[in-house]
Amino acid sequence: MADNDALFTPKLTGRDYVTPDLRAKLTGSARFADDFRAEGMLVCKLLTSPLPHARVTRLDLCAALAMPGVRAILTADELPPPADSVSDSGAVIKASPWAERALTMEPLYQGEPILAVAAIDEATASAAIEAIDIAYEALPFVIAPLDSLRPGGANARADGNVWLPPAKPGERPRIGELKWSAAEFEAAGPDRLPLGKAANEWSYGEVEASLAQAALVLDQTFVTPNVSHQALETRSALAWWENGKLHLTVGSQSTAQTVPAIAKWLNMDANDIVVISEYTGGGFGGKITASVAAIIPALLAKKARAPVMLRVSREDEQAIGRARPSTIGRMRAGFAKDGRLLGLDMLVVMDNGPYEEQFDAFMAGRLASLLYQPQAMRWRGVAVLTNTPTRGAQTAPGGLQVSALLGPVLAKAARRLGLDPLAVCRINAPEGRASVGPPKPDASLNVATSAFVKQALDQGATTFGWQTRRSRPAPAKKSVRRGIGVATGCFVAGTVGFDGLLVITPQGRLRIHTGVGNLGTESFSDAQRVAADALDMPWEACEIVWGNTGRHLAWSCVSGGSQTIHAMSRAALAAGLDARAKLKEIAAQTLGGKPKEYAVGGQRVFRRDNGDQGLSFAEAARRAIELGGIYDGHQCPAGINKATHAAVAALAGQGLVAVARDTFPRDGQTYSYVATFAEVEVDIETGRYRIAALHAEADAGTVVHPRAFAGQLAGRSMLGIGHATRQKWFYDKEHGIAMSRRFYQSRPPTVLCCPERFTWGSVGIPDPQTPTGARGIGEPPTGAACAAVLCALNDALGDDTFLRAPVMVDAVLAAIEPEIRQATDGLSAKVSSFRVAG
Amino acid sequence: MHASIVESIRPAGMTRRQFIKSVIATGAVSSSGLLFSGPAGAGPKASPGAVERLITLDVNGQRRRVDVLPQETLAQTLRHKLGLTGLKVGCDRGECGACTVLVDAVPQYACSLLTQSVRGKAILTVEGLARPDGKLHPLQQGVLDEQGFQCGYCAPGFLMATLGFLVTNPHPTRQELAHGVSGNLCRCQDYDKILTGLMRGAEYMRKE
Amino acid sequence: MAIIRDGMPPFDLFRPTSVDDALALAGRFGADAWILAGGFDSLERFKDRLKRPKAVIDLGGIGELRGVRRDGGDLVIGAMTTLAEVSRHPDICERFGLLAEAAAAVASPQIRNQGTLGGNIAQDTRCWYYRGGWTCYRAGGGTCFAGESPQGQNREHAIFGAEGCVAVNPSDTAPALVALEARLVIENHKGGREIAAEDFFVGPDKDITRLNILAPGELLTAIRLPATWSGATFYFEKVSDRPVWDFSLVNIATAMRLRKDRIEQVRLVLGAVAARPWRLSEVEAAIMGCDRNAAAEAAPRLAAKGAAVLPHNGYKAVLAANLAKRALLGNKDA
Repeated sequence: MADNDALFTPKLTGRDYVTPDLRAKLTGSARFADDFRAEGMLVCKLLTSPLPHARVTRLDLCAALAMPGVRAILTADELPPPADSVSDSGAVIKASPWAERALTMEPLYQGEPILAVAAIDEATASAAIEAIDIAYEALPFVIAPLDSLRPGGANARADGNVWLPPAKPGERPRIGELKWSAAEFEAAGPDRLPLGKAANEWSYGEVEASLAQAALVLDQTFVTPNVSHQALETRSALAWWENGKLHLTVGSQSTAQTVPAIAKWLNMDANDIVVISEYTGGGFGGKITASVAAIIPALLAKKARAPVMLRVSREDEQAIGRARPSTIGRMRAGFAKDGRLLGLDMLVVMDNGPYEEQFDAFMAGRLASLLYQPQAMRWRGVAVLTNTPTRGAQTAPGGLQVSALLGPVLAKAARRLGLDPLAVCRINAPEGRASVGPPKPDASLNVATSAFVKQALDQGATTFGWQTRRSRPAPAKKSVRRGIGVATGCFVAGTVGFDGLLVITPQGRLRIHTGVGNLGTESFSDAQRVAADALDMPWEACEIVWGNTGRHLAWSCVSGGSQTIHAMSRAALAAGLDARAKLKEIAAQTLGGKPKEYAVGGQRVFRRDNGDQGLSFAEAARRAIELGGIYDGHQCPAGINKATHAAVAALAGQGLVAVARDTFPRDGQTYSYVATFAEVEVDIETGRYRIAALHAEADAGTVVHPRAFAGQLAGRSMLGIGHATRQKWFYDKEHGIAMSRRFYQSRPPTVLCCPERFTWGSVGIPDPQTPTGARGIGEPPTGAACAAVLCALNDALGDDTFLRAPVMVDAVLAAIEPEIRQATDGLSAKVSSFRVAG
Repeated sequence: MHASIVESIRPAGMTRRQFIKSVIATGAVSSSGLLFSGPAGAGPKASPGAVERLITLDVNGQRRRVDVLPQETLAQTLRHKLGLTGLKVGCDRGECGACTVLVDAVPQYACSLLTQSVRGKAILTVEGLARPDGKLHPLQQGVLDEQGFQCGYCAPGFLMATLGFLVTNPHPTRQELAHGVSGNLCRCQDYDKILTGLMRGAEYMRKE
Repeated sequence: MAIIRDGMPPFDLFRPTSVDDALALAGRFGADAWILAGGFDSLERFKDRLKRPKAVIDLGGIGELRGVRRDGGDLVIGAMTTLAEVSRHPDICERFGLLAEAAAAVASPQIRNQGTLGGNIAQDTRCWYYRGGWTCYRAGGGTCFAGESPQGQNREHAIFGAEGCVAVNPSDTAPALVALEARLVIENHKGGREIAAEDFFVGPDKDITRLNILAPGELLTAIRLPATWSGATFYFEKVSDRPVWDFSLVNIATAMRLRKDRIEQVRLVLGAVAARPWRLSEVEAAIMGCDRNAAAEAAPRLAAKGAAVLPHNGYKAVLAANLAKRALLGNKDA
């Protein structure tokens, strides 16, 4: 910095405002992918596999192609070969031979797309699908991970049933076979996860010694559910080609980063792709860079020489729309008398689905080391392939699971040790630059940028009234049991190194070009408030350009993993400071003196010693165009991403162009945290329960936009509540077919599922390792809320009552009436047999 | 035009004539929606109750001629033929509420209604709410002021369900309103903020 | 042939404006016709390609099928009266609150605005195998995937009266109508008849392919609530996993005549535990003349008696027992 001015003065940052996308959402004029129309547009429908694993043995398209109105059919053999990709640093990443393709002749799960038909309308496309003559050879399949690990259990793919680490350093992980012995299953019994061999592991400290010293050792097994993302907008997409360029309207969690993803899937030049994604109807991790299905309309549009709309039905979305992997965790946890977690030995089996390796199990281990700070820890994990839909990151992948697996263990330890569960949460909470596993090659641990979880627990407990609620007498009604729970959650909450791009126009306005996706978190806009503040710009004079790579957007992070507010507020600040520096230079060159003799404020750049002498932003922008070079974008600094480069080149000459990569220092890994408190009232006669109160207290640094922040805390808490209370999928395992195809069967929460009293708060201590102080908040509420509700249910009904989430009516009744709980097939069972006497 | 329905949902401070003009303007949104050309039911049209393909719908106060297949849903007609893409098809099975529109002032799922069944009834979609000069309906304004909704995909359905509910209960408690919109799913689960916004909107409607 | 479950295949649509026209059409098309009421059950099955009717007769345009009228001491409800109208109608609320409450518990507000009382009681089962297009007994095949297959998913299936098929009737209003001794008016183009609601529903022992006796060409036109139970002591409770927009795991509808706390007349009917509303006749007989508190002690064991539970639905027997008790005590928060 050439002067001692503050990086930014938060006039807008930290305040509520109306985001620029909201009005269109409320008037129906917001256009989501399926709302676009193009002249001569065809409609595309998918033919999907009726079997969980099969090979297509006969395919006759003649009858379908002969139907009037059918224009083209796309099959797997017409897909381009998977391309290698190149990382930002130039490293070549070889295409995976196991990767999911958009279409396949060997479907690996029921519902996987086999081919696609483009026709002049939906009815014709559907009728054509029904006219296709297709036959399959059924292949072995498996639905439950433990069934695949059993001796003689089926493998989901011909080459194996688990993801294994690379055979040699530098290679990619591979698929291979792993089976556990009958003796291992026998030793575990029906309700415990067998302690078989894992595919991956890490550790630090002396775990067995720590467990041996512990005053209390718990050995808990718990299962978290498979939950589909179920974004309300299915992944429909419209594609058309114009002058050799592909135009694609698609729902995506990133506009900028979807371009290279599509380029990779189509094996084509990224410069020939325009992605349009102004609005995205929910993503939750399932639309990080759109989805591979988006290439289907692109290829069909080329083949049929007409625009093609892939209209994805809810049933197809249920299959191809991604899901959070179920995990089965077995935790041996040793506690000191005061509740301190001395040693943690954790084995996690994950239901990976048939394709890319998921990292939920790994993240569960990493986040366990951070969230509960065990003095010694071992993590072991295995990602088991199953013939179920492709998994994907879902809000707090691994973060939801770790809280659900371990939150109730801490609460149980508290009860066994005669301690307050809040005290056990607190004594184990990360603080300051807390350590994070797995160990680095030199055996030391990573550190977090900051953690103020104890403050969150203290403030949250006060607002929630934890001690008051804890000391209340039991409800007068015999059929009602009350329970309270507290739990913490955390997740990665920030990345670095992205670009900011601004234009000060000759009209004196600030145009902000961002490649962040807009999926409703509002971070695409919120992060830019910092750029405006850096320039002391009123928001009314700012315009955000987003959602269409044809409009020249900066290289941005994906709106996922809670990284946006951190990453992009830094990038916005970097660009804002670049604009400020350029304004001062332009002023100095125009009015004389040195740049540092100038200051920026009130939409002017002016002499510090004589405020009358200066340039308005409009004048400075016009001067920038006259000066050219770096000032109006005709030159672009080094270190900027090539996508941003292209955008700058296109914007050159339009005004003062400010562009910068975030190079602000950061020491440590960025995480955010939430402490959540819940109270439940359980009707033990009907098995129903109410969440009477829930409070979520965040530790996510500076709050940039309070209403959006509250929305994330409440909404992401609800996602966790869904996992605790109702949401899951279920299969007929004998046939490998999904039984829960509808919302009334998979049960996403409704407005009436909300806690009756929901409150929130934020510690609000700025993160010291980022100049804007802000960390992400999109993920950590999820695990905290899920675990808080599970802890409250255990408090009401007893520890060791539930083997799995969600806890539904049948599970509650089984807790009350032990005779309906008969562990016939243990971990793979739900609630089992019951015979009424008499 | 069903006067009573227009009266009950038209933004206050707006004359009935203005309102009708506004919905006509909205309805005139250009549409290159494709006409269905799929195999049509070729039933004997002489039978009692046999339906015509070319029918007139009353949408946002405007009469719209449209060619409708027997098996066509109102959601398909509105989105694909009349260019009214505000309502969304999130499930096509009456399980998400994103397609909610008002039929004679009553909230219904357009995905689960045959278009033929709404002949002669007044359809109101989200496009029919704001005034032609851009002034938002007070319900929309209330949500805007509270930053309601996240991704916004469910918003049109929620707004229409709320309007219909407020016809029967203009002074709801927050809990009553929650029941009123309990047939609308929000997967961002922004329910808390949505209810706050809708309550404010209901308050604006009572004031204006 | 490949499967798609999207959009609807074509059919001929008829929208008669009188019952006579509807009956004539139904008679003419017979088994080729499909009678459309509110449409939620029907349209889903068309979209899923489970039914491909040649002709669909939409009753929505027939004014005489909608509304509630008094007939002496009875109330007669048109079959096409919406669930929302049933739940709010002053006469129903005042005299037969049980039905109003049951109608208000169905699905979601929009579904109640469009769904009809006739459609709600005549709807088909929600067994996920049957609705998924599996060739089970009910669909004309040779097995029950939910009940006979060792890994069958049967959490929401029958505990009573299951012979072969373990599907349940999902209706919330049907048990209420059985409890109220409602009479159903069934017509065809040759004439009409009135039957007891209880006789409308059939279990798999009688016919494994359908849940009611409606034959091709027949319409359910009206539901008559006789004065018998007008103003009685009622209890309805629905237990479901979601508080709204869900089908019952178990529900109970009860009508009682009490003198002080002594039970003089009583009907208890469970829903979602069998292919038809399940009357707890043994409980009724045992508690007749008893004090309601004593009855509540005795009822649970009898209510669950004979339950034949499947691997995943044992909890339904507990619910049956507990709901019977709650119904007799008349206190949901008991």
